[in-house]
Amino acid sequence: MKKFFSSALWHGFLWQAIGWTLGASFLTLIRVLMGLNPFATFGFTEPAWVFGGLVGALSFLGGSGVVSDWFKWAKGEETPEHHQDPDGWEKFINISLDHKVIGVQYTLSALLLLVIGGIFSLIFRTELAQHGLQFLSLQWYNTLMALHGMVMIIGILLGIAGVINYILPLLIGAQDMAFPRLNAFSYWLAPPAAILLLSSMALGGFDTGWTGYPPLSARTPVGMQMFFLGVIVAGWSSVLGALNTIATVIRMRAKGMTAFRLPIFVWAAIATSIIAMTATQLIGLSFQMVMFQRLFGMGFFDPAKGGDPILFQHLFWFYSHPAVYVFILPGLGIISELLPVFVRKPLFGYRWIAMSSLGIALVGFLVWAHHMYTSGMNEYLRVPFMYSTLLVAVPTGVKFFSWVATIWRGKVTGPYPTAFLFVLGGIVVFLMGGLSGPPNATVATDLHLQDTYWIVGHFHDTLFGGYLLPFFAAIYFWFPKATGRRMNEALGRLHFWLMTPSFIVLTLLMMRIGLLGMRRRIADYDASLGFDPYHLVMTITAFVIAFSVLIFFINFFRSMKNGEPATGNLWNSRSPEWQVSSPMPVHNYDQPFEVVGEPYDYGLADSVYVKFANKKTGGRN
Amino acid sequence: MAHLNKSEAFRQGALIFVFLAVLTALEFFVAIAIGSVVLLVTIALVKFGLVLHYYMHIYKLNATEDPDIDQHSYAYKLTTSRLGLWLFLLSDSFVFGGLAVSRFYLLGLTRPPLNQILGLVVTSVLLLSSFFMNRAEVSMEHGDRKNFILFTSLTLVLGLAFVAGVLGVEWPSAMAEGVTPSTNAAGAIFFMMTGMHAFHVITGLIFLGVIIRNGSRGLYSPEKHWGVEAATVYWHFIDVVWIFFYPALYLIGKIF
Repeated sequence: MKKFFSSALWHGFLWQAIGWTLGASFLTLIRVLMGLNPFATFGFTEPAWVFGGLVGALSFLGGSGVVSDWFKWAKGEETPEHHQDPDGWEKFINISLDHKVIGVQYTLSALLLLVIGGIFSLIFRTELAQHGLQFLSLQWYNTLMALHGMVMIIGILLGIAGVINYILPLLIGAQDMAFPRLNAFSYWLAPPAAILLLSSMALGGFDTGWTGYPPLSARTPVGMQMFFLGVIVAGWSSVLGALNTIATVIRMRAKGMTAFRLPIFVWAAIATSIIAMTATQLIGLSFQMVMFQRLFGMGFFDPAKGGDPILFQHLFWFYSHPAVYVFILPGLGIISELLPVFVRKPLFGYRWIAMSSLGIALVGFLVWAHHMYTSGMNEYLRVPFMYSTLLVAVPTGVKFFSWVATIWRGKVTGPYPTAFLFVLGGIVVFLMGGLSGPPNATVATDLHLQDTYWIVGHFHDTLFGGYLLPFFAAIYFWFPKATGRRMNEALGRLHFWLMTPSFIVLTLLMMRIGLLGMRRRIADYDASLGFDPYHLVMTITAFVIAFSVLIFFINFFRSMKNGEPATGNLWNSRSPEWQVSSPMPVHNYDQPFEVVGEPYDYGLADSVYVKFANKKTGGRN
Repeated sequence: MAHLNKSEAFRQGALIFVFLAVLTALEFFVAIAIGSVVLLVTIALVKFGLVLHYYMHIYKLNATEDPDIDQHSYAYKLTTSRLGLWLFLLSDSFVFGGLAVSRFYLLGLTRPPLNQILGLVVTSVLLLSSFFMNRAEVSMEHGDRKNFILFTSLTLVLGLAFVAGVLGVEWPSAMAEGVTPSTNAAGAIFFMMTGMHAFHVITGLIFLGVIIRNGSRGLYSPEKHWGVEAATVYWHFIDVVWIFFYPALYLIGKIF
């Protein structure tokens, strides 16, 4: 406990609370001096809450000490390149510049947020099990539903950053990310963002769903503002992390690692980072404009003042559609990365896969308005956006063909490892998500499907198959690399076989009742529609999934201490990080390696991918 | 510009400044006399290209590097930092791009009733500050610390004048014309664009303050002055944004 109360995390939270209070009090004081009313429904007035929230987030950064090095630089002082991390668990709640520690920090935070988001969904899923309102008010239903969306999204973003941070420098043979301090800074933006986001519940919540469309978002309680602030702060975390990723891949590769000898996951990470680094600014901007509309009466989205709510949707979806590619591309990259290891065959069509990741990212910038067919935007925009959206199926199809061809006649000896099961599950579920996509992209059918449970089923399939199942695969696969122990296989299989079939049932039923006319985002439905049995089954499957996640956590924490030791090349992988012992040494590779062959030539005799220097070289650290 | 000696580099910077000044005057004339949007956009793009190449030295991103260079050397890290800064600017430009798109989406080819002369004045002040910033960087590259301090301070003063001009003169005068944040979408867009830009100018001023302080304490040398280079590029980036925002707010379109 003493270690916790002296940690950067605790100091950050403490300072966030102090900064929040001081900021809000300061603004209230100014309001008093200006003769404005100092207090409102939720104690402070809305401007005071917003200003306080902003000051609080900045205070967190100051208080946790993640910006101290930069202040020293501004004062002209030098700081050491590497901090010494303590050995125990407390390094994970303190500032560390080591990408492996930061990767674990990201991953643990992501899991925590996924659990919180999952609990929200269980609450309102239970409410939906029966028609009529049982225990939630409409306001709470809306708030939980919206927060489920955004908390999950930020959990996914952190999870991606976790995998990229941990794996990517190892895959390319770097000692660390290109900008270690920026890396730490990106991570430490996440905790205050999460606090801001969750604080919206205490400030009246909000009704808009995670999309925050005006005009409704200009009217809901103050919670809306905390939601906006939280997303903006988390968005900066994503932007800076992506920037760091791109710089790392361009600048820190091992010798001989040319573009087409990069591990395929690195291509996916690049594609994802291009989107995250640029488009994220637009969701931040759109949310900021609504914030200002609320605070200063600026009429961007207010038709009475010559504004236009459709503009918000354009700005918002310019990020929020590519964002789903930010979520899935690393997941699909993990699938492509792990599949050859398990089936002992070369990855089919390596270059096509690499290019398809970039293709999805670039086409992804041109499809945003397919969310707006029914919004009242200019009708001539519909057809071009329909075609650009359908075009996404081409590079995605390339990936599926490659996976199928890679699996074809592959040899897996013995029982399937859990990580492999999750890879296969990811492919199947993502296929369901992919096939349910074109009906939404096609204008004629989307006009009927818009805002139904069909859409809910579709995007849960894409995100589960494209991100969550591969994320679990990555955890089961690289867990030994981080800890030197492997996770329990029996529990892992139980986790998989409980989670995936129930999830498939859940989303199929979502699509089914969506086609029958169930609207999304509603707290209640008409009993005469006959949806009660469907909703009951869906609620049960949701709890089965939650139970499987509980098994995962038991496995995860037990294996850290008591798992079967696995220090060698457990998966018989060709990738460089498995050629050294586990857990990974502090400064990664003691000897630099050179890339001398193709990365995925599994099953081919005397093909070498990486060659380690024989003698110890005299680099620093 | 390593291959130019100091006076050549000064001369080049001055020449580019003259070009930019002439283009700015031409732009103003085009807006008053012809009102051609295509021409105004073209002029802005030319100014953008000049600043990008001659003041921001974007070509340094493409510099060839010794393949056996030590990854821990200053030179290697400098190239990495430079890449990081440019990626940041690319990301940041999406904010400004989003604002520009919003401006044309909401207002089309109309503009708020602003004082064009005042706009030209603040634009000139910012342009002049870029000129001095370039001289400051050249001075540091050639080890002339005294001039570095002088020119950076001049940049700082002009930057302050710009902020004072926009926030202290332009905003009240716009409000007097009825362009306020809350009357209509045009006012909202005007205050959002200039406000977001002014926020960046203020961060740039802080950055300039830091390099003046560290420069006067002798922390920079002709070989090692990444702080100066970064502040310079950032300052010119602020100028680049204004190259587009100025015509978008003051020149393009008819007063509604």
